[in-house]
This record gives sequence, C-alpha cells and structure tokens, in this order.
Amino acid sequence: MSEKDFPSSKYNRGKIFAKTGIKVGANYAKHYLNSLRGSNEETNSSFYNQTAEDIFSEFTKLRGTALKIAQSLSIDQGLLPDEFSEVMSQAQYSVPPINRSLVRSIIKRELGSYPESLFTSFDQEAIAAASIGQVHRATLPSGEQAAIKIQYPGVRDTIASDLGLAKSLFKRFIKNRGELDEYFEEIETTLRLETDYIHEGQTINRFHQRFDGDRFTTPQWVENHSTERILTMTHLEGEHLKEFLARNPSQDEKDHFGQLMWDFFHEQIRQAGEIHADTHPGNFLFTEDGRLGVIDFGCVKKFPDSFFRNYLLLLPTHLERDIPTITRLYHKLGVLRGDPDSDKKEKAYFEFSLNYGYTFAMPYEEDRFDFGNPEYRDMIRGYTKNAPIGNEARGNKHFLYSTRVHLGLYHFLMKLGARVDTSNSRKIVADAILDLQP
Amino acid sequence: MNKKTTEKIQISKTAASLYLKNSRFTMQALAEESGIEKEAIFDFFSNRRDVLNFFYEGVMLEYRSSVEAIDNYHSYTLSEKLSNLALTVIELMDPHKEFVRKTYTEYVQCTSRSKEFNTYFIEELESIYRIDSNQSRISQALNNKLLYKAGLTNFHLLIQFWLKDKSAGNQKTMELVDKWTSFVQELHYSSILDRGFDVAKFLYYNSPFRPSKN
Repeated sequence: MSEKDFPSSKYNRGKIFAKTGIKVGANYAKHYLNSLRGSNEETNSSFYNQTAEDIFSEFTKLRGTALKIAQSLSIDQGLLPDEFSEVMSQAQYSVPPINRSLVRSIIKRELGSYPESLFTSFDQEAIAAASIGQVHRATLPSGEQAAIKIQYPGVRDTIASDLGLAKSLFKRFIKNRGELDEYFEEIETTLRLETDYIHEGQTINRFHQRFDGDRFTTPQWVENHSTERILTMTHLEGEHLKEFLARNPSQDEKDHFGQLMWDFFHEQIRQAGEIHADTHPGNFLFTEDGRLGVIDFGCVKKFPDSFFRNYLLLLPTHLERDIPTITRLYHKLGVLRGDPDSDKKEKAYFEFSLNYGYTFAMPYEEDRFDFGNPEYRDMIRGYTKNAPIGNEARGNKHFLYSTRVHLGLYHFLMKLGARVDTSNSRKIVADAILDLQP
Repeated sequence: MNKKTTEKIQISKTAASLYLKNSRFTMQALAEESGIEKEAIFDFFSNRRDVLNFFYEGVMLEYRSSVEAIDNYHSYTLSEKLSNLALTVIELMDPHKEFVRKTYTEYVQCTSRSKEFNTYFIEELESIYRIDSNQSRISQALNNKLLYKAGLTNFHLLIQFWLKDKSAGNQKTMELVDKWTSFVQELHYSSILDRGFDVAKFLYYNSPFRPSKN
C-alpha cells in the first residue's frame, strides 16, 4: 500500500480503518451466529441443535468464578458474541452476599476472635461484593479506618470445577481446543493467585512503595489482621468514577484525573515491573486532595520480557504504518497463523487487527488527545462489539490481561471524557522497548 | 453468665481434655489439672460423669451469652440466626473436637445423658422460629415440636459431617451450614405451600367430583 491511498488527516484515516474493521467484524459476527444456528455446513455437529441461548443459560449456572472467566475471555477478547457478555452482566449473575453469621464465623476462624473484640467498630453489611469475596468497613484499634475483604468459603475448591465446566461449554463452539487449554491454564493460575490474600497483601505493600505519593495513593496492608482468606488494608476515601460524574464535574477536573489515570498506566510501563491488571472503574478512586487512588491488587501481572517487548512494539509500528514489521509481530504474537495474502481467513484477521491497532494508537499520534470525542468512542465500541471474528481462540495467552488493562484504561478515559496530554507517552514506550531484552 | 457458671464451664472443659488422656480420671486429678479445690468442685458436681455431661450444657450456655453480644441480632434473618446457632456451637466445640468425636453420639445423640443440651437447643430453635414473622402462613402453622426435633436431628447429622471434615478451618462445614440454612429459609419463607393449600382448599369445596349433599 502506498501513502497516497490514505486520506490526508491521520484522524480520518483512523476512522476509515475503523469502519472497515466494523464491517469485517459484523460479517464475521453474522457468520458466527449463522453457524451457531446450524445453517452453515461447517457446523460442529454436537452443537447443531443447540441455540446460543441454551448455551448462555447453561453458562449462567456457574457463579462466582464464572464471572472472572467472562471478564477474561468474552468481554475483552471478543472471543464470544455480545449476547454472552450481556448475560454475564445481568443482576442474577452477581453472587449473593455471605450472611452475617457466616462473616462473624469466618473472622473468628481466621483471626481468632469475633469482629467486635478485634475492631473498634465493624460494619456487618458489606460495602462491596466481588466475585470471590466481599468487603466490609471497620475501625482498627489504632483508630484508623480499614477495609476488610472476606473470601467466600470454599472458593478455591470451586475454581477448578467451575473452570472445567466452563471449558467443556466453550469447547463446543471453539475450534482450536489446544489453545483454549492454554488460555484456561492462564486464567486458572491467575484466579488461584487471587484467592491468596497474603500474596495480595504483599502486592499492596509493593505498590504502596512504588506509587503512594503526591499524585497517586494506594492502601497499606494491615498484616496483623490478615490471613490467606481475610485481607485487611487501610481504607481510602474518595469518589468512584460514577459518583464523580454524577456531580457534573468541570472539564478541568475530568482532565486532571484522566491525566493521572493515563500517567499511572505509563508509569507502570516505564518501570517495567508488575502491572495492575484489573482496570475496572470500581478499582479507582478520586480523592479530595486531587490524587488518584488505586485499590484491589488481586490481579497484577508481570509479563515475560519477550511478550511485553513485542506487545509494546505494536505501538511505534502502527504509528509508522510499518506493515512488514507489523505482520512479523502478529505472527510472533500468535494473531496470524498463515499468510494473509493467500489465505482469506488470515487476511480478515489481519485487517481487523490492523484497523483495531491503528485506532488504538490514535491517542499517541498527537500531543493531546480527547477521549471524550464521541466518534472515537463509537469506533472503539464498534470493535469490542463486533470483535468475534470466527469461533477460534487467537493470540498469545498474555493478551488476555494486556488487553484487559489497555482496553480498560481507554474505556475509563472515554467514560470520564478526559483530554489527556500524551506528548511524553511515545517516548516512555520507546524507552521501555529499549530496556527489554528481545 | 454468672461467675459460678463460668467456673463450671471451665472445669468441664478441663475434664474434657483430661478425658482424652484417661477416661477414668479421678476428681483429685481434675482438681490438680484445673487448679480448683476438690471440695469446690464437689460443690458444683457430684461425680465425674456429672462434670463430663455438663460440657455440652456449658456449650449451649456459652452460645446464649454470645448471642447477647451481637449487634442487631434481632434483625438477622431466619437463615442467619440458624447459621449463627450451628456455627457458634461448632466453634465452641472445636477446641475439644476429639472429646466430641468420642462422646457426642453417646452423650447427646443417642441417650439423654446431656439432655440439657438437647433441651436448650430445641428451646433456641423455638425462639428463633416463633419470632420470625417472614414465614409463610403454612410454615407458621408448622412451627411445632416436631419441626424443632427435626432441626435437632439435622444438627446431629451436621456434627457428624463436621467430625469428618478435614478441610482447612472446617470450610466445608461452613459451606454446608450456609447452603442448608439458606434452603431451610427458602422453604419457610416461600409462599408456594400457601398457594398449594389455597388450590387444595378451593378444589375441596368446589370440585365437581365432590358428592353433593342433597
């Protein structure tokens, strides 16, 4: 492709790519649903008589860990159709809270005494529910406010069985089963680690060391009130994205916190250490003194250098439209399995990924980027909505979490409607690439 | 709990530990082990059997006083109260799990050696059910001795489950209590029985198959 094939403005270029991307995506989605309904010859026979709805309803029988699987697989990966993630996010899907007696008993068992003798005050009603535990407010004997995460009993044992069940469901309509195993292993390892609250406590301390300061704030681990299944940390006061937006903040405020989000992400890339891999709006807080609070360190990732380097390289190559290098990277990262010039299916994958990549790189093209631009929002949404390009698991298993972080960040900034200064970001990524071993 | 009861409970717990070393321990040995004068022990109990029987009664007394310490206990739902009962009693027994393993069936389940335990337990169930106004009509009508006895039998089975539970911190027992009490609550709060009764009543009076009186 030559330079003159492209419209002059970079922004327009991105838009056109995005449109083709949506089209490719939509066609594949159609094909996908047709094959689900059995009107396609390639249809997997065991799946022949089953409608998508049946599968969804079967999946909803799984609770708790299934939510995590859904977050990891369907929503970000575009591995599964939209309906699936809709079912996932329905209210019936949320886990019922642990009853108050059980909370008392778990605390007694784990920490040796009932809450009323351990804490100056303890709120019996949970303030937040997560897929594997729930959070309570309490006052420590020192007078400090604390958040206490209590794990549902038996969660660790259900992970394996839930995943087994989920896998057998997925296998009915995902063709390359071998890779699916790899994905599931990755999810299982991550989930298992998430149930170890001592591990999370140590992570909280590491992040506190790295980030707590003028711009960011993170909780501290209260080790003497923590066990493998109970995690006590200092409580951060602040507004969640939803509350923040509800009081109609000024554009300056939005830009301020958006910038902090963007910088937190790039500071993690710069340090090339562990990365907070659960970019969910509930895990970030805006404090009154203008800092970004980061909570929930159950899911942090340290990517292998080789993957991380190739992943980061996607940015400069897409910015430079360096097609040959991009193609090589796609092969290395498992996005492509054949030659897109001769294989129609590979070509579709290639085009979709390329367009998605261009769109993703857009914030880095100029020195300032407006995530509140509705056109950009529609483009990104178009990709995530129409992403199921065939019933095949594709891409390096580390994509599961790298895209979750990246996409989570973009969605957050788009919801916030922030304008972000991105002038340093290209250099940060370029420097990080130099530091990583090829 | 008054001082006397607290002391009695302490002695019975010491006796439970002693029992594991020697099931035919003397009152002298108990006095030495617990640091309380033999005469003082005899003020409370007449013999060894008496002390051991009191272990289970003591558990229920401790349970009762622990309920008073819970904030907002009155706002607990049926399943929360039932799980609190089951879980607290098991927690109180937990430090003496071996003793319970050796004696529960004999003292509590099959005989009335520790009949106070059973009596108190049933009383507790009765007070839990009687106060609960969220139950369906039918369920309220069924709040009787038979229901409470069934509850006690369930608890005996739960104890057997707990005695065999090898999971860390008795997690499996906790899960079972949680699931079981939620199920029981659903049964008692559900109006499905009420509806069924309505249908049956209607059909009884209006069925075309009913022989007419004239």
